[in-house]
Amino acid sequence: MNEPADQNIPAVELIDVSKTYEGTPPVKALSNISMSVSKGELIGIIGASGSGKSTLLHVIGTLTRPTGGSVFINGVETSGLTDQELSGIRSRYVGFIFQDFFLLPGFTAQENVENGLLYTNFPAADRNERAREILDRVGLSHRVNHLPNEMSGGEQQRVAVARALVHKPAFVLADEPTGNLDSKNTEGVLDLLIGLNSDGTTVILITHDQDVAEKCSRRVSFKDGKIDDSLSG
Amino acid sequence: MFKSSRPKANLPTSHLTLIDILKVSVSGLRTRKLRSALSALGITIGIAAVVGVLGLSASGNADLIRELDSLGTNLLTVEAGQGFRTEEATLPDGAAGMVLRITPVYEVSTVTRISGQVFRNDLIQDGKTKGITIFASDLNLLRSQRGSMKSGEFLNSMNSAYPVVVLGSVAAERLGIKNVADLKLLWIGEEWFSIVGIMNPLPLAADLDRAAIIGYGAAQEYFGHDGEVDTIYVRAYPEYVEDVRSVMAATVNPENPEEVQVSRASDVLEARAVANSTFTNLFMGLGAVALLVGGIGIANVMVIAVIERRGEIGLRRAIGATKFHIGIQFITESLILACIGGIMGIIVGMIVTTIYANTQGWYIVIPQSAIYIGIGSSILIGSVAGFYPAMRAANMSPTEALRSS
Repeated sequence: MNEPADQNIPAVELIDVSKTYEGTPPVKALSNISMSVSKGELIGIIGASGSGKSTLLHVIGTLTRPTGGSVFINGVETSGLTDQELSGIRSRYVGFIFQDFFLLPGFTAQENVENGLLYTNFPAADRNERAREILDRVGLSHRVNHLPNEMSGGEQQRVAVARALVHKPAFVLADEPTGNLDSKNTEGVLDLLIGLNSDGTTVILITHDQDVAEKCSRRVSFKDGKIDDSLSG
Repeated sequence: MFKSSRPKANLPTSHLTLIDILKVSVSGLRTRKLRSALSALGITIGIAAVVGVLGLSASGNADLIRELDSLGTNLLTVEAGQGFRTEEATLPDGAAGMVLRITPVYEVSTVTRISGQVFRNDLIQDGKTKGITIFASDLNLLRSQRGSMKSGEFLNSMNSAYPVVVLGSVAAERLGIKNVADLKLLWIGEEWFSIVGIMNPLPLAADLDRAAIIGYGAAQEYFGHDGEVDTIYVRAYPEYVEDVRSVMAATVNPENPEEVQVSRASDVLEARAVANSTFTNLFMGLGAVALLVGGIGIANVMVIAVIERRGEIGLRRAIGATKFHIGIQFITESLILACIGGIMGIIVGMIVTTIYANTQGWYIVIPQSAIYIGIGSSILIGSVAGFYPAMRAANMSPTEALRSS
C-alpha cells in the first residue's frame, strides 16, 4: 500500500512538538520534541512512567493532537487535518500494538486480524486470505479459529501484532507490547518484532524496560517530557 | 519540502461499507446475547400490545359490521313512551295495521308483555321467577328480528292458540334447558305449557332473550289478554328508514304523537363499535407506555455497552474508525435490537389476535397499518434510544478509551 517512492520519506517526523494538558496547573507532557524515524528502523522509546512516552505514543499515532509543533506521518503534515482525515491516516499508515492486546472477545484470531483491514477499503473478499497469511507469518496458523480466551497471553499478543501488520502500515507502534507477558512470552514477542523489522517493517517500541530497549537498533530516552540525550543513542 | 505540500486529495481515507456496519453491529450484539435478548423483549411486548390491540379491534369491529349487516339497520322499534298525560301511555288499538300502511314498510310484528310467572314446575314458590317475563308475540317475530332457532321451532299458526311456549336464549339458560327435549313442560301462569323451541340470542331485541314467548291466541285464552300491543317492530326499506321514522309517531298515535317512542335497534350495536374504539385507544396508550419502557431499556443497555466497550471503541479508533463509524455502529446495534424486538412483537401480536379472534368466532383481521406502525415505531425507538449512547461512543476520546484498565 505504501508506494516504493515513499521509501525515502521518514515514517514519522516530529518537529518541535509540545503537548500541554489543560488544568490547574497545566501539565506539560511533551516539550519541544524533534525526532525522526526512518523507514525500516527499530527504535526504542524508553522512559519511566510519567515521562511523557504515552503522550508521545498518542501523538505519533494521531490519536491526540499536539498543542504545538508539527507531526508528519509518512510525509503527511497532520496538523489541521479533520478527525476523519486523521482516521484515514491511522487506517493506512499506523499499526497499533497495545499492552492489553485489545482483541475483541467473541471474535476468532482470524476475525480479529481481519478487523485491521475493516476501515481501509481493502476488498472484503480478500481479507480472509490476507489475515491467514499474516497469522502464518506470526506463527499462529494453528490458532486461526480460536477465540482470544482460548489462547495464551503470548499468542494473543501475536494476534495483535498480526492485526497491526495486516494492512501493511508505514510503521508499527508498539506500546509496552510485553508489559503483560511472562519472560518466555516476552522473548517470543520481541523476537517476532525483531524478525519483522529485519524483513523491512518499521517498528516504534515504547517501553520502560531497559532490557527490552537493548534489543532496538536505536533508543530515544524520555525524561519529564523531554528527550534525554545522555541516555539516548 | 514536498512532504508538507501533499494535496489533501491524496490522503488515505477510512471506509466502512454498509455490509461491514451490519456485521460489526451484529457481532457486537452476538457477544452479549442474553442482555440483547432481554432488551429486545421490552420492545416485543410493546409492539405485540399495539399490534394485538389494533388487530383485535379491527377483528371485533369487522365482526360487529358483519353482525350489523346480517341483522340489518332498518329495524325500527315503536313503543309507548312518556306523554304529557298522567295515565300510562299505551299504543292505540290497530296501531300495527296503521304502520303497515306506510309505503316503505314491508314487515311489522308486535309483542306484548303479559303479567304472569314462569316456573319449571308447579311446586316452586311464587316470586322465584328468575326474572323471566312472558311476552305474547306475532308469528313473524323471528323473521322481523332476523333471528334463528337454537332448538325446536318458533310459534306457528297451528299451535299458537294452544299452551305452547318458545324461550329466549337467556330464559332457557336460567331454566337450565339446553334443548327442547330436556324438559317438556313449564308452569306458566296457572297452566302447563309445552316448550316447542329455544331461540338464539336476538341482538336487536335483547329483552326477548329473557322472555317466554307465547302466541296471542294463547295469551287471550289463558291470560285474558285483550289484544293491546306494547311494542311494534318495523322493517322498512333501508333507504327510507329515516323517512319512515319521521312519520312513525304521527301514524301510530295521531292524537298524542309525543307518547310514541321510536328507536333504531341497530344504534345500540353502532354505539358498541364506538365504545370498542374507546377501549382501543386505552390499550393503545398502554402499548405506547410499554414501548416507551422498552425504548428506555434499550437505551440503558446501550449506555452500559458504551461504558463496557471503551477498549473496543479505542481500538476501532486506532485502526482507523472515524467518529461517524463508531456512532453508526452503536446506532445500528440499537436499531437491530429494536427491529428484532419489533418483528417478534408483530408476530406475537398476530398470534394473539388469531387465537382470541378464533375463540370469539370473529373473522381475523390484522390491519396493514398495525404492521407499518409496528415496524415504524421500532425504527423510531431504535434510533432515539441509540442516539445518545452512539453520540457518547463517537465523542469518546481515543486516548481516554485506550487507557489501560
